[in-house]
Amino acid sequence: MRSKRLTWRVVGAVAVCALAAVAVTSSALARSSASSVLIDGTTDTVTNVDPAGNYDFGSFTVDELIFQHLLELAPGGKVVPGLAKSCSASANLKTWTCSLKTGIHFQNGDAFSSADVKWSFDRVIKIKDPSGISSLLSNLKSTSVAGPNRVVFHLTNPQSTWPFILTTGAGFIVPKGAYPADKLNPNTSAQYGTGPYQLVKYTSGQQAVFKAYNGSSVKAKTPNLIINYYSKSSTMKLAIQKGEIDMAFRDFTPTEYGSLGKASGIKVYTGNGVVIRYLVLNVKQKPFDNPAVRKAIAYLIPRQTIATRVYHGLVKPLWSMVPAGLPGHTDIFKTVYGSAPSKAKAAAVLKKAGVTTPVAVTLWWTPTHYGDASADEYAEIQRALNASGLFKVTLQSAEWATYSKTLGTQYGAFQLGWFPDYPDAEDYLLPFYGTKSNFTSNGYSSSAMDAILKREQGARTNAGRIATIKAAQVLSAKDVPIIPYWQGAMVAVGRKGVSGIPRTLDPTFIMRFWLISKS
Amino acid sequence: MNGSGTSLKRYAITRVVLVIPMVFILLTFVFLLMRVAPGNPISASLGGHVPQSVINQISHQLGYDKPILVQYKDYLWAILHGDLGSTITDRRTVSSIIEVNGAATLELTFFAMIIAIVVGVSVGLLAGRFRDTPVDAAGRVFGIVAYAMPVFFIGLLAQLFFGSYLNWLPISDQASPITQATLESHTNIMLVDAIIDRNWDAFWDVVRHLILPAFTLGLVFAGVFIRLVRVNVIRTMKDDYIEAARARGVNERSVVYHHAFRNALVPVVTVIGLQFALLLGGAVLTETTFNWPGIGHELLLYIQNRDYAAVQGIMIVFALVVVLISVAIDFVNAFIDPRVRY
Repeated sequence: MRSKRLTWRVVGAVAVCALAAVAVTSSALARSSASSVLIDGTTDTVTNVDPAGNYDFGSFTVDELIFQHLLELAPGGKVVPGLAKSCSASANLKTWTCSLKTGIHFQNGDAFSSADVKWSFDRVIKIKDPSGISSLLSNLKSTSVAGPNRVVFHLTNPQSTWPFILTTGAGFIVPKGAYPADKLNPNTSAQYGTGPYQLVKYTSGQQAVFKAYNGSSVKAKTPNLIINYYSKSSTMKLAIQKGEIDMAFRDFTPTEYGSLGKASGIKVYTGNGVVIRYLVLNVKQKPFDNPAVRKAIAYLIPRQTIATRVYHGLVKPLWSMVPAGLPGHTDIFKTVYGSAPSKAKAAAVLKKAGVTTPVAVTLWWTPTHYGDASADEYAEIQRALNASGLFKVTLQSAEWATYSKTLGTQYGAFQLGWFPDYPDAEDYLLPFYGTKSNFTSNGYSSSAMDAILKREQGARTNAGRIATIKAAQVLSAKDVPIIPYWQGAMVAVGRKGVSGIPRTLDPTFIMRFWLISKS
Repeated sequence: MNGSGTSLKRYAITRVVLVIPMVFILLTFVFLLMRVAPGNPISASLGGHVPQSVINQISHQLGYDKPILVQYKDYLWAILHGDLGSTITDRRTVSSIIEVNGAATLELTFFAMIIAIVVGVSVGLLAGRFRDTPVDAAGRVFGIVAYAMPVFFIGLLAQLFFGSYLNWLPISDQASPITQATLESHTNIMLVDAIIDRNWDAFWDVVRHLILPAFTLGLVFAGVFIRLVRVNVIRTMKDDYIEAARARGVNERSVVYHHAFRNALVPVVTVIGLQFALLLGGAVLTETTFNWPGIGHELLLYIQNRDYAAVQGIMIVFALVVVLISVAIDFVNAFIDPRVRY
């Protein structure tokens, strides 16, 4: 009996010592995290690292570290030389010739040449990955080489924005010798580019580990980078508060940002962003087939309330599908519909059209793709429309996989958001207003708009292009098949000691980890 | 004595053969369920960004526009050839998911089960031993609360209290980012990998990360065992042989721990095996809460993305594991108790 009590006491003492060892050892581990390692957290996911196999932001962020483009987007959105010294167009804008830089080597030692460029673009088209990335090259007829340092792109249609296409995920350059022509390089295989970081370890859904590549033309300030993947923002929030990660980019809820902004040792940084949110109206479905109904809603959208009450200032009211900060942007919806909701004007337009009020409408939104704040966002829109007495709004929601398949094929009015392939007005106009390119299935088709967009794509001067972009916005406000309402900031969170984050917050929405350091 | 019931061998064969229709029914159910739900992997990933014509083209490329019976036939044909397939979203083979993420789930569920057994059996024994006393009441309340509370809620509370407020333990992941980045993967079970490498810093780091999720998941199932052990102890304590032992002058402690307790545990062994299936289900929520990179965590992501191949493949493995464990438990029961036969 006594020996048994002694046994239990010994076991207890060992357990206490073990716990103490765990606590002590944890301090040693924490101290061993070097300032040469920057740890970022994100709720983004990575599908494929091979640029020919992904069309999502999480994968793009990883690819930006490993690979480079012929042309790059500088902070602010200007297109600048990358692996190419310059790119110029023929008079008809259907042939683009790029002169390449020399003396560059991939991370596997292969020398960079025009053959790699042709290989990279050809394989994106040939693989035609289900991710849809090849759709960005839909206008590329063929790629040819004119010597080791020159490559020529032959387009099907004139495109003045082709340089922007070269900066997208479809334009990453890979070494010919390491990437198959007709299939993806799996995530379990080594990935090689010319970017500032080399991927040294990738564990799907968990972590990507990078080491600075000294042979890159872009130098990284921090030698080692780890990106940790989280499925829930609440877990990531706790992780940054505890110091398990140094920074976090994408994405927290507005409430979490607010809480982090007040936490000691943590700072929330914001910069101009280009993510937008808008309400799509099905112009073929009652009652939205009546322009008066669409205009009345445009008069009543509570942009400022949404920005302040729902997003705590992390978004700003948006008055055009082309976000502020991009060349050609105009606050057209403010000009036409006013800066504040107006019940009187909404009532007048409905009365003039002989519409009986209140108009019963159903607004659709999705809780699983655009963040938890979507519920509050649509509650505010419902509140504003109902409060006017002119509408009786019913809200309906569907999970993203169902919602994204349905859109305008069934919904009369529905929420969508947009993140551009490239930060140019064209990418905010074509996908929404072009008859053939409109993905919303809202039935909008205008020969006038198609003509404007065609002129925009073939514009030979910048001034001419800007004029067509403005004309498209004017028509969009007149026809109002879509009502834009907010533009989001680019937001990142950093712990004390992490510097350089503000330098990479801009309309290109590229997180340039190579500019960030840690003390 | 006549030969009522079948032999153990025939019983074993029957149980193994029955696995086939069980798994087949589950596969069919999963296949249909994924396709009944609106949306497919292509619209889930590209919807809201590219024209419908592009989505249709890619869906056609992958065969999602084929008649459902044709898709079903292709699916069964692949399964019969041992091809669990690859995920559509990130092109991982299902076998690599099982290997890598399954190991993480195994690590979590193994320790969760140990905690469930230790806590559940100990508290249940005390509650049964000290029936109708404050100890019994406390044990029963604890068991009910642990079982009734959603596992993700317990997890969140644990993260906030032990991780954030007290700052004693890490709140997520299998290990710290540095350990994850530097530890060599031999078995995909980080504790074992750390032992193999004799990396004791990494070992303790993994242990620290395991504590909260394992306790969270384990406590929920401890609640089941508490009630079961308590009831069995009380029932066993009423048996005649216990009275006989007391009458022979055996002290109460020995009566409880040497006689009653061991016999009370026999039915608990059966339940432990059956609870394993529920443990896998609970692991999904625990893994999501703690960002634990297990198979449940991946399954949730693939369901959200309507990744048919991934969900089907993972469910096959889940089904096989659960079915095989229940068959194993049946064998153990049949071996111990000859009355258990068909």
